[in-house]
Amino acid sequence: MQGESKRAPVIEVTDLVKVYGSGEKATRAVDGITFSVAAGELFGFLGPNGAGKTTTIRVLATLLRATSGDARVSGIDVEADPEEVRRRLGLAMQTATLDAFSTGRETLELAGRMHRMPFAEIKRRADELLELMGLTEVAGKLSGQYSGGMKRRLDLAAALVHRPELLILDEPTEGLDPQSRTALWEELERISAAGTTMLLTTHYMEEADRLCTRLAIIDEGRIQVDGSPEELKRGVGADSVIIGLDDADGRSEEERIGVVSRHLDGLVEPGAITAHPSGVSLQVANASQAIPALLRRLEGDSITITGLQMTQPSLDDVFMKYTGRHIRAESADEYIPLGW
Amino acid sequence: MTALAFETFHLGMRTTRRWLRVPANWISVIFFPLIQLLIFSQLYQQITDLPAFGAEGNYLAYLAPGQVVFAAFFAVSWAGYGLIMEFRSGYLDKLRALPIRRWSILLGEMVPLFFQAAAMAGVLLVISLLLGARIETGVAGFVLILLLSGFFGLAWAGISFVPALVTKSEQATGTMSLIFFPVVFMSTAFVPEAMMPGWMQVVNDWNPITFMIEAIRSLMTTGYDWNVIGVAVLSTAVVGVITQAVTIWAFRRLAN
Repeated sequence: MQGESKRAPVIEVTDLVKVYGSGEKATRAVDGITFSVAAGELFGFLGPNGAGKTTTIRVLATLLRATSGDARVSGIDVEADPEEVRRRLGLAMQTATLDAFSTGRETLELAGRMHRMPFAEIKRRADELLELMGLTEVAGKLSGQYSGGMKRRLDLAAALVHRPELLILDEPTEGLDPQSRTALWEELERISAAGTTMLLTTHYMEEADRLCTRLAIIDEGRIQVDGSPEELKRGVGADSVIIGLDDADGRSEEERIGVVSRHLDGLVEPGAITAHPSGVSLQVANASQAIPALLRRLEGDSITITGLQMTQPSLDDVFMKYTGRHIRAESADEYIPLGW
Repeated sequence: MTALAFETFHLGMRTTRRWLRVPANWISVIFFPLIQLLIFSQLYQQITDLPAFGAEGNYLAYLAPGQVVFAAFFAVSWAGYGLIMEFRSGYLDKLRALPIRRWSILLGEMVPLFFQAAAMAGVLLVISLLLGARIETGVAGFVLILLLSGFFGLAWAGISFVPALVTKSEQATGTMSLIFFPVVFMSTAFVPEAMMPGWMQVVNDWNPITFMIEAIRSLMTTGYDWNVIGVAVLSTAVVGVITQAVTIWAFRRLAN
């Protein structure tokens, strides 16, 4: 697998298969998934609804039995010793799953009690998390009265009370407004920076791009490709840099390309420079790294730069490359049978 | 404290808070039996003049034990509803992802029902006393009535839990609790057995609700009749074993 870390894996999943139903009605929700997540990584599953993301994390969270395959958390088999696995993980589900009639503080205290933390430690940790999540002022209010963003933050705090080795987040920002989403991303970045290993699922490309140190594109129950967001995007194609040029110099397209090629000799392949209505377009491996050098070379009397535009392949392009279609939010919901 | 008891206690405190913090939960529980007590005791006050009614001269005093049992049942009749809501919201999954025993989740729902049923029966009992009913056995009898009511509520809670766990439907859960009404109407809650038609007397002779009402009635009006109390405890235990066995089966089925 690409981007594999040398650190000890917190998650190891091998040939995981989950089939719902039987016979003609059988649905193969997860179809032979293999992946691992090293300590400290923020690993993401990016894929449309129904891709098998939630089913995989339900198996890891000991909420669902796999049809076949092997899943381990910190080396512990999720089926052989589920209780030990539960001690080590924190779980925040697709929607904030809270007792609407408990206050924020009671929610955190109950989570701490169930993890057998000493009460003094629970109180300290609850204070700390309420402060961290910006919920101190509403700690005494019933969680049912919280806004959507506050509920998510409380849910996240409840999953963190016992300082889990692994935090599993299923679509953590689903249904949140942009402001709450950004605030939650910042929270998750802080938690990740503190060293907590995280596995999240999402169908938001910008979320996967911003948060994940490594991610797997998942579709139809299979991992199509995995790697860091940068690696995956580079695998799709080069970045484009469009340099706007002043057309008052009266040069033809060929002359512009020629002048730019001479200035960028050795930096950009001549074949990677093409005409563009506003100037020239360059294909480079990493636009953000290349731009300073490009500008230094192009500065001078013979060229007047009027604009600069950079475009990079998106994770949607990566998804398109490996699945032949775009990630669409309107895809059918993942099949989760009622019953637990 | 064992792990199961520890978990049950804290989860039970949560479900008790949930119950207390929705006033409709306990106001509606009291409302119906209280209305029956107030209206029927006035509407049918002369029923005690009928020869078949026997020696009891105060219809409110006759009605009170049946309404205490009614309150105990109502206190638990929607018990399965909360479980469905938390199943649907995913909160039960959240509990299942905690390092706790699965049975403590069910016990955390069930054990508080004993106290809820006893508390609601107690409120109705106090109102009955204020309206003129008496408890011949005094404070000890009062406490014993609360214990019997709690036990009765716990045993009958399965009427709500089973459809909730099996169907996961609020409508089915609500509809099943209606089964209590014909059973209580064919008991001695409103009239003595002598005033019932023959076929209903047969039903009444085997009606576990009658056994509990008669035990509470004896504590309120005559004294400790341990035979009557024993039959009430035994019949309620039989109901409890049946309903809770099915509840446990349904819970396991859902959990797996």
